[in-house]
Amino acid sequence: MSTPVVFDAATRLYPGSTVPAVDRLDLEVQPGEFLALVGPSGCGKSTSLRMLAGLEDVSSGSIRIGDRDVTHLRPKDRDIAMVFQNYALYPHLTVGENMGFALKIAGVAKSEISTRVADAARILDLERFLDRKPKALSGGQRQRVAMGRAIVREPQVFLMDEPLSNLDAKLRVSTRTEIASLQRRLGITTVYVTHDQVEAMTMGDRVAVLKDGVLQQVAAPLDLYDRPANVFVAGFIGSPAMNLGTFAVEDGDALVAEARIRLPRATTDALTTGEVVLGFRPESLERVPAGTEGAFAVEVLVVEELGSEAFLYGSLGAKLHNPQLVAKVEPRSVPAKGSVVHFRVDPERLHAFSTTTGEALPTA
Amino acid sequence: MSLSTAAGSGVTPGPARRGRLRRTFDKHWYAWAMVAPTIFVLGALVLYPLVRGILQSFTNLTETNQRAEVCSKTLGGAESCTPNPDRWHWVGLHNYTDLLTGERGHFWLLLENTIVWTLACVLLHYLIGLGLAVLLNRNFRGRSLYRVLLIVPWAVPAFVSAFAWKFLFNPKFGLINSVLVHLGLDPVEWFNHRWTAMFAAVVTNVWLGVPFMMVAILGGLQSIPAELYEAAEMDGTSPWQRFRHVTVPGLRPVSSTVILLGTIWTFNMFPIIYFVTGGQPAGETEILVTGSYRAAFEGLRNYSLAATYGVVILALLVVYAAAYRRVLKSKGEVW
Repeated sequence: MSTPVVFDAATRLYPGSTVPAVDRLDLEVQPGEFLALVGPSGCGKSTSLRMLAGLEDVSSGSIRIGDRDVTHLRPKDRDIAMVFQNYALYPHLTVGENMGFALKIAGVAKSEISTRVADAARILDLERFLDRKPKALSGGQRQRVAMGRAIVREPQVFLMDEPLSNLDAKLRVSTRTEIASLQRRLGITTVYVTHDQVEAMTMGDRVAVLKDGVLQQVAAPLDLYDRPANVFVAGFIGSPAMNLGTFAVEDGDALVAEARIRLPRATTDALTTGEVVLGFRPESLERVPAGTEGAFAVEVLVVEELGSEAFLYGSLGAKLHNPQLVAKVEPRSVPAKGSVVHFRVDPERLHAFSTTTGEALPTA
Repeated sequence: MSLSTAAGSGVTPGPARRGRLRRTFDKHWYAWAMVAPTIFVLGALVLYPLVRGILQSFTNLTETNQRAEVCSKTLGGAESCTPNPDRWHWVGLHNYTDLLTGERGHFWLLLENTIVWTLACVLLHYLIGLGLAVLLNRNFRGRSLYRVLLIVPWAVPAFVSAFAWKFLFNPKFGLINSVLVHLGLDPVEWFNHRWTAMFAAVVTNVWLGVPFMMVAILGGLQSIPAELYEAAEMDGTSPWQRFRHVTVPGLRPVSSTVILLGTIWTFNMFPIIYFVTGGQPAGETEILVTGSYRAAFEGLRNYSLAATYGVVILALLVVYAAAYRRVLKSKGEVW
C-alpha cells in the first residue's frame, strides 16, 4: 500500500523574484521510505514540502504521488497529511475532535471516526487526553496530537515540517526515535523537513541535502557522511563539522602548514588548478609524535570533554574555512590548553574537492 | 510582659490589625499617594454623579422645587427669605412605578425602540465589519488605501455625520429620495413613520459604527495563525468550512468583546437618534437615553424622572453584561 513520491524538475519561482526558491528539483521517494530534507534556512526545503502538500504552486515541472500527477491538484485531493511546525491544532476543538476533524469533513461515519481516533490515541498514548483542549497540553503532548491527526487519516504520504523544533532538547531526542519507529511500523512514505542535520541523519532512511533551492545530494546517512558529493555537503553533515581548507598542490603533494600530504594519483589528475580543497573529519586525525611524516603542529585552544569522547579545537599554521581545526582525541588523556600537539590525516579518509566547482574529486 | 505577649499572639485582634494597617501604610504610602489623584478624579467624575443620580431618582426634584428657600425683595432693597413650602422631598419608588406603569413618559415604547435599535445596529455593525475585515485581510493592490478610507467615518464627529445623513434622508431635497425618484419609485417621507425613521437612524449609525468593528475584527483575523488555515486546507475543508471552523472560532475572543462594547455604546447612543429622527414622528422613535434627556432638559425640567431613566438604563445594562458573561463562561471562554 506504500506509495512512491516523485519530484520531476519541480520549480518554485515566487512572483517578483528572479531566483527560484526551489530549482528543478528531481527527487524520488521510495514507497514506505522516510526521506529527510535538510539544509540551512532559506534553502528551499520547506518550500519543496509545501509544493508536495499543495500549499505552494509549482511554477514548472511536476510532482507525482504514486501514479497520479498531483502537480495542480488541491491539497485535499492529494491524500496526504501534514504535521506543522507549530502543530496548528484547532484551539477550540478537543484532542479527539482535532484528530477526527478531517474525517468529519470527509463525511466518515461517527462510529468509524471514534474507532480510528481511539486507535491512533492508543498508539500515541493520548487516550487520557482525548477530551482536553490543546491549551491544556504540554508541548510534547501537542506534538503527539499533531501526529495523531495525521495518522488518523491513513494517508498515502506523511509530510512533516520541522515537527520537533518547538520541543526542548531532551524531549526532541526521545520524540525523534518515537516518530522514526512509528513511521517504520506504519510503513507510510514520509517526507520530513528539518534544519538539524543530526535529526536528518538519525531519522531518515535517506537524506536529501538542499542549498539555495538546489538539491546537492541524496543518499543514505552513512553514504552522505563518508562520500559527500561536494564541499557544502561535506561541511554541513557531521557534528562537529569536517575540517575544510584550501591548500596549494606541489608535485602531487598538498601543502598543509608545514606538512606535505600525498594526494592520490586520481585526485591530482582531476585537478585543474594548482590548489585543492581538502577535508578531514575530526575523527580521521591521528595524534602522532612530532616529526612523523605528513604531521602538522596544532596549538590547543580549547578541549571539549564529553566523557565518552573529547574534541580538541586548535589553530593550525595554515588557514582553514572554519576558524579552528577540530580533532577527536582520547577522552582520558587530553592535551593541556596552550600545548602544541601533532596530527596526521588518515589518508584513507581524506576528502578532496575542486576549488572551482566544489565537487568531490576521486581519491582512489 | 504578659500583656504584650497577649496582644502579640492575636488574642485581641484590634491593636494587631491596626498595627498591620499602619505598617502597610508606612511601607506603601508612596503608592497610595500616586493613586490618590486618580481616585479623586474618578470619584468626582463618576462616583459622585452616580450616587447623586441614584439618590435623585427617589425624590420628586424638578426645576420648580429645587430651591430650599423662597426669597422676595423688600421695599428697602433687601431680601427676605422663607423656607420653600413646596421644596422637593423623598418619594420612595414613586418615580419607578410611574415610569414602569406608563403614568409618566412612554417607557415601554422607548424600551422597545431601544432594543430594536440596539439589535439592528449591533448585528449590522458586526456582520458588515466582519465582511469588510475578511475582504481587507486578503492581499490586493491598494489595500492600505481602502483601510484608511474605510476608517474615515470613524474620524468624523457623530453629530456631523448625523446632520449629513439627515440631509441625505430629507424627504424634499435629500439625495436618497431623488435617487428613488430617478429609479421611478415614489419618494419616501422618511420621518413620517416610526420604522422608516428608525431605518434612517440605523443606517446612519451603521455608517458610523462599522469602522470600529472592522478594525477590531481585522486585528482579530491577523492574530489567527496562517498554519491553521493550511492545516484546515490539508484536512480537506472548503473555503466556507475554513471560515466556519477556523475564522469564526479564532475571532471569538475579539467578537465577544466588541459585541458587548457595541451593545452598550449603541444602547446609549444619543446623538444619532436625537439629531437624525429627533424622535419623529411624535416621539415614536425615541430611545431611553433621548427620553432621559428630554425629561431633564425639555419643558419643565424633571431631574428626578431623568435620574430614574438613568438608573433603569444602568440596571438593564448591568443585567445584560452579567448574563452575557455567564453565557461566555459556560462556553468555556476565559474572560
